[in-house]
Amino acid sequence: MASLSLKHIFKVYDGGVKAVNDFCMDIEDKEFIVFVGPSGCGKSTTLRMIAGLEEITAGELRIDDEIVNDFEPKDRNIAMVFQNYALYPHMSVYENMAFSLRTMHMPNDQIHEKVLEAAEILGITEYLERKPKALSGGQRQRVALGRAIVRNPKVFLLDEPLSNLDAKLRAAMRAEISRLHEKLGTTFIYVTHDQVEAMTMGSRIVVMKDGFVQQIDTPTNLYKYPGNMFVAGFIGTPQMNFFDGTVRKTGEEVTFSLDCGTKIEMKYIQADKIPVKYMDGQHKIVFGIRPDDIRVYDSTNYDDGSWAPAKAVVSVVEVLGGETLIYANLNLEDPDAPGSMVIVKTNPDTEVRRGDIIDIEISRRKFHVFDKETEQSIRKRIPDENVINVAISGGVLSFEGQKFPLPAAVRCKDSSSVELSMPVGALTLGEGSGKATVQWIETIGSKTLYFLKVGDITVFSLEEGEARFAIGDTVAFDIDFSQVAISELGVTPLCMVNTLDGSFTKEKDASRKFYHFYMNIGSAKLVPTDRICEKVFACKGNKIFHTPLQYIVSVKDLSTAPASGAQNALTGTVQEILDYGNEKYAVIDVYGQKLTAPYGGNAGDQVDVLVPVEKVTIKDKSIDIIIV
Amino acid sequence: MSELNNYQNPTEGQELTNWQKIDQMEADIARKLPKKKRSGGMKFRKLFGDTVGQTVLTILAIIWVIPLFYLFVQSFRAEPGAWSPTFFPQTWTLDNYKRLFTETPFMQWYGNTLLIAVCSCIITALFVLAVAYVFSRMKFKARKPMMNVMLVLGMFPGFMSMSAVYFLLKILLPDNYQSHLSLIIVYSAGAALSYYIAKGFFDTVPKSLDEAARIDGASRFRTFYKIVLPLSKSIIIYTILTSFISPWCDYIFVSYIMAGVPDTGMYTVSLGMYKWLEREMIQQYFTTFCAAAVIVATPITILFMWLQKYYVEGVTGGAVKG
Repeated sequence: MASLSLKHIFKVYDGGVKAVNDFCMDIEDKEFIVFVGPSGCGKSTTLRMIAGLEEITAGELRIDDEIVNDFEPKDRNIAMVFQNYALYPHMSVYENMAFSLRTMHMPNDQIHEKVLEAAEILGITEYLERKPKALSGGQRQRVALGRAIVRNPKVFLLDEPLSNLDAKLRAAMRAEISRLHEKLGTTFIYVTHDQVEAMTMGSRIVVMKDGFVQQIDTPTNLYKYPGNMFVAGFIGTPQMNFFDGTVRKTGEEVTFSLDCGTKIEMKYIQADKIPVKYMDGQHKIVFGIRPDDIRVYDSTNYDDGSWAPAKAVVSVVEVLGGETLIYANLNLEDPDAPGSMVIVKTNPDTEVRRGDIIDIEISRRKFHVFDKETEQSIRKRIPDENVINVAISGGVLSFEGQKFPLPAAVRCKDSSSVELSMPVGALTLGEGSGKATVQWIETIGSKTLYFLKVGDITVFSLEEGEARFAIGDTVAFDIDFSQVAISELGVTPLCMVNTLDGSFTKEKDASRKFYHFYMNIGSAKLVPTDRICEKVFACKGNKIFHTPLQYIVSVKDLSTAPASGAQNALTGTVQEILDYGNEKYAVIDVYGQKLTAPYGGNAGDQVDVLVPVEKVTIKDKSIDIIIV
Repeated sequence: MSELNNYQNPTEGQELTNWQKIDQMEADIARKLPKKKRSGGMKFRKLFGDTVGQTVLTILAIIWVIPLFYLFVQSFRAEPGAWSPTFFPQTWTLDNYKRLFTETPFMQWYGNTLLIAVCSCIITALFVLAVAYVFSRMKFKARKPMMNVMLVLGMFPGFMSMSAVYFLLKILLPDNYQSHLSLIIVYSAGAALSYYIAKGFFDTVPKSLDEAARIDGASRFRTFYKIVLPLSKSIIIYTILTSFISPWCDYIFVSYIMAGVPDTGMYTVSLGMYKWLEREMIQQYFTTFCAAAVIVATPITILFMWLQKYYVEGVTGGAVKG
């Protein structure tokens, strides 16, 4: 039983091929995690890095809070089940299962007890004396599981264990493995390319593609709220229907105009999570709808306004017994036109034939919208930002009757109408001069998303923790101006992360016997901790001295003091003071690079910026990987 | 899961576990799999191909065996001299064999050769298997360059290095360079160069077995001798056979290194027997030579016949992935 933590894990092969990119994840004790994705997406490589069979190029792997990057597989207390079983062919089933225990020099009677116990759990007691070649595929896989069980490991790693089995058998084994997970109460990490396996077994699923994590979430959330088109298409059978098109907001109405000619109309409230900038009728978007969220029109269908009508011409009907799949085309004039095919999952009683023109209804609640270019969802569960039209006059910002004095850092010229954008977390509730009515509340994990009515518009506010207000409450709100952007007037949010170019150097000490290592930024030398040095050399070896680096540090982690040449400090001149009212920051010129840090003094001051080196992220600029 | 409910115990009153039901389901699936059947045309093509192949191989085998058979029958010839007008002896005798054991130092040569061959065979087998395993399993910077260099070096005939070897031995064993120890060193020192077939064989042993053993806590060495070696019987036997044969049959190195040694008792069989074929001795010793050749060939032939299954597996197993 163990928890795992993977922080910025990279796998880069010779020649610079990145198999795994910046894999970050925390795995709780007893979780059943499934890595899923197409071949070559890096899921098995990640599993092998956890097992210790592949070296981790960069990043930190912890099992139960212990960093295990340099541990041998046997010392990680994990067990692995391989795709091809990897049973020792010359040993009996008993000896296969006992091998690891013999390696531990366990007494024979204990070995016997453990092997019998595992064999009992897996129903292979009667095969113990057989050699693997005398067993069927399913039995071999159980022996492989048994070999893992006897070790009583903290973490079970399973690399596509069912992929060599017949489909029918796979389904049965799937259920048994899930049952085994419950029985053993151990953390399981399971790799598969089969999304059905992933959906049915995992407590959380990691979807991967081309070495990048696409999304980590529960099966239900992945299905309901895919983060991008890849996840949307990969999860769910049959896969989601995608249609290119545009979306336009006219007053309180929103219209999706699909390239195949279909128009889907709805109230703005049904699409209010889509950023307004996409609703100009120009941005190319992709409208996604699952086959389950389309129904064939029937006069008896209940409709509360959440179904949009459309017409389609049927091309294929697949009767599957429990359900029927209708492959139809939204383009009635040219049914062969690409990009207009729609799959509708309906009940088996629906009687349609090829060539029929049918009335279908598309859900106005469960649709998905993606940016055509980035393929990322733009109707996210938690919207990225609030975009509001505001007026600025005499240093006061106003919208929908609300007024906010602008802090000095955001002072800009007057404008009667300008677009302001800010993250949903920048709108804080409870205090402030703004007043809003709570229209709706959504709990998402540990966070609460408020839908707030301010005059005629809806804005969002995101808070950590449970809801503090109820629907219908009138609440005060404020704006964190350090996160506000008004691009037309040149107002940019405060950069909360400093990125400084630098290098890593060594110098011999006075005795000329030992080296001292330094993190160099300009002519400043920061002294790294032993742990940083270990990580840097484990990742890059001596190449680190010739590698261009970026040191990344959060503004909040920095502190300033009058210039005195303190250790681990960057000395510079304050160029500009950013006054956000309660908080003041300075833009400081350090060795030709700009850095932002909290500072209450004046422009022109000489200051030391104290850098906590243990909180600095070191990035290899040449191959774009995080070393520490 | 509901599929599993279809599987019931034939004996009433005893519920099957899910695992037992899965076993039954798998057996059912295996039973229903279509069996491969050969069509009539395919059968004929196979029969025709086999017949042609076997005939050609039989003819080649006869051609190859004739000189050996001649040597064998000549070892029973009573008539003296190197030249015989007939293929079969006119008078048959066992005197040649008797003479071999009583009048010549053949048994001494035989013992020398056996000692050298066994020692170098053990050392060679260890070298070859260890090097092959390392090249097959371990990844290190110099791996590829070393493999390439060894491959290129292996392309040159060994006897090209004879003079260099001779002088190296003189440096290494100044007082003892014309000895059996020298020969053992010569035969086994460069053995690792012939790692290629064994490496090819090890490459066919799934790496996941090594990885499973590593996770099970086995060291590299334990993985090698507990997991990989037991699965590599054929390549071990192939390596032992080939490394036994080369010193057993070698003439070139031994004639160069032992040249001028006055004590004929130090000779190996090939060197000693070759002396019998010199112009002044051939008339007297040809039939004895034939008898000696039969004695020399017998253990190797028996070994080959006994272990040929492994030998073939070793060669072809190594050749699959090369």
